[in-house]
Amino acid sequence: MKTIILATAIRILIPLFIIFSVYTLFRGHNHPGGGFIGGLIGSIAFVFHTMTHGPQHTVDTFLKLNLYGYPRQPNQSRSLYLMRMMRVNVWRRRKMARHPDIKHHMVRIESVYIIATGLFLAATSGVFGLLSGQPFMHAYWSDFYIPVLGKPGTPILFDLGVYLLVIGVVLKITFVMSEE
Amino acid sequence: MNHLLIMLPILIPLYGAILSLFFWRSVRAQQFVGIMAQVCLLIASFMLLFDINENGIRTTQVGSWPAPYGITLVADLFSAMIVISGSITGMAVYLFSIKGLDKARQTFGYYPVLLVLQLGVSGACLTGDLFNLFVWFEVLLICCFVLIALGGTKPQLEGAIKYVTINFLATNFLLAGIGVVYGTLGSLNLAELAVLVRTPAAHPALINMAGMFFLIAFGIKAAIFPLFFWLPASYHTPPIAISAFIAGIITKVGMYALIRLFTLIFVTDQDLTIPLFTVLAGFTMVLGVLGAASQNDFRKILSFHIVSQIGYMLMGLALFTPLAIAGSIYFIIHNILVKTNLFLISGVVAHRHGTFALKKLGGVYLQQPLLSVLFFISAFSLAGIPPFSGFWGKFMLAKAGFEIDSFVIVLVSLAVSLMTIFSMTKIWNEVFWKKKPESDPLLEVMTEQKQHHNRLLYLPVVIMTVFILFIGLYAEPVVAMAQLAAEQLLNSELYINAVLKR
Repeated sequence: MKTIILATAIRILIPLFIIFSVYTLFRGHNHPGGGFIGGLIGSIAFVFHTMTHGPQHTVDTFLKLNLYGYPRQPNQSRSLYLMRMMRVNVWRRRKMARHPDIKHHMVRIESVYIIATGLFLAATSGVFGLLSGQPFMHAYWSDFYIPVLGKPGTPILFDLGVYLLVIGVVLKITFVMSEE
Repeated sequence: MNHLLIMLPILIPLYGAILSLFFWRSVRAQQFVGIMAQVCLLIASFMLLFDINENGIRTTQVGSWPAPYGITLVADLFSAMIVISGSITGMAVYLFSIKGLDKARQTFGYYPVLLVLQLGVSGACLTGDLFNLFVWFEVLLICCFVLIALGGTKPQLEGAIKYVTINFLATNFLLAGIGVVYGTLGSLNLAELAVLVRTPAAHPALINMAGMFFLIAFGIKAAIFPLFFWLPASYHTPPIAISAFIAGIITKVGMYALIRLFTLIFVTDQDLTIPLFTVLAGFTMVLGVLGAASQNDFRKILSFHIVSQIGYMLMGLALFTPLAIAGSIYFIIHNILVKTNLFLISGVVAHRHGTFALKKLGGVYLQQPLLSVLFFISAFSLAGIPPFSGFWGKFMLAKAGFEIDSFVIVLVSLAVSLMTIFSMTKIWNEVFWKKKPESDPLLEVMTEQKQHHNRLLYLPVVIMTVFILFIGLYAEPVVAMAQLAAEQLLNSELYINAVLKR
């Protein structure tokens, strides 16, 4: 389903969906919202993108990490090398992509790993309580207050986990179904 | 430390499943994580059992929300014993599936799903909240569906559809029952429900109705008499590692929930429940064993025997004396171990000979004498021959029946034991004793090639047999613990006080 209207509109809508989903995620503790619904809203962006451009293009755009690098010189210190690599990958991406000596690797983020990360975060948010002798999922809150987001605490970790889990599952379903 | 001990049987499989998801690409890493998780789970559940044995019922309130409002996890002796037998089964199945399951199935998420199934078993046994119990049964249902359908061969999909359809029905009944309970009593915490149904203000007719909803729901899950037809239709379709685990543990978790609810909450109208359970138990035993007698497939015979054995567990609930409930508990533990072991043995035989049909098998005694001895022990345990484990369970049930003069059900159960021996003799004659029928030479070559790498398949069978021999030959501590567990179950005040901290 490749329509020019949707394809143009989606470029503006994707950031909107994602920002709104993050907002929903963070207001979820005391108001309507939370990880599940936030994740669903966030995944709409990817679903629309897949619908207009196909799954391969979505993977290339959002779920692929291009890393650039060159082999370490024999007399170069390890930490210097690491910092160079980080600099290459963070600041000079465009320029380096065309550089002849630089090889690039692609790291594909698969939806299974997003699901696993989400589950891990959600489970671990409960374990903090256990480790200090309290029941599972006992909540700890910090004292300070961040403007829009509110007080951070361990429950936000749980919601973040659910958010990632939902996005991962929806992405997996979308990719499998659109490939068929 | 107290909270951690109760959570560990839930957290270990959960983290195991998450870790195996991270190693999605590497089956070897998943195998390692799975085995480690199972070993840790076994250790943790034994620690839990010893802790409960020393200090009484343990509870924890998830998220520090106090008892009737939040989700409570409760561990008493009964639940800890089921968790232990579940983890022994899980460990054996994991060891078996390393060699006994084809690579294609292993790469498509077999290990994480099996760990989540284990998580569901622990969760269903430890929860102290009715709705939470429903959620854990959903976890079990979804995992079983995935496992039965994994691989997608035609008979598997057929079995999976039968399994899921009838279990969805069960889920609806369960949800309806929960709705009625919540509507009439206004709580879902098991301990608070137990207090509320004993007050005069409770509405006995509505509670009875809810009880029947639960009976139908868990009756389907545990494969009780009129509702067991899905079980022999679906359990023999998946590969043996999967059906061994599902056959060994899932119906017994249904039975666990039934015993828990009908000793704690729905005890107000025993004039209705006790005759009903007696009739159901009798028919379940008889029909299961008759069904087994008519089958000619190793796995199908074993599947029908699951149904027949469920009848014994229900019989303990029907007699409703401390000794009978203890017999039921002992019988559940014995049955989880023995049934899984028999399925695994059928898997080892099939791995060597390539078939489950009794007509095509034969001469295993000559080729694999050790396996024959292992089968002999497990089959005699299942039938209840004295030194082995099944005898003690049946003895306790029969003695409890004679004590309260319900002779009919005891006689039925003893007759069914004889029929069980008949079935086991049939398998022994056909698979192990008789001469192997002539088959085409091509198949011979194929099975010859398989021989060298099936040594590891014996390991889980041997481990299970050691446990079976232990609870049979040294039954004293297990029986004593089962009796303690039965006293805890029948003395609801202990449970209520532990949860509500009165």
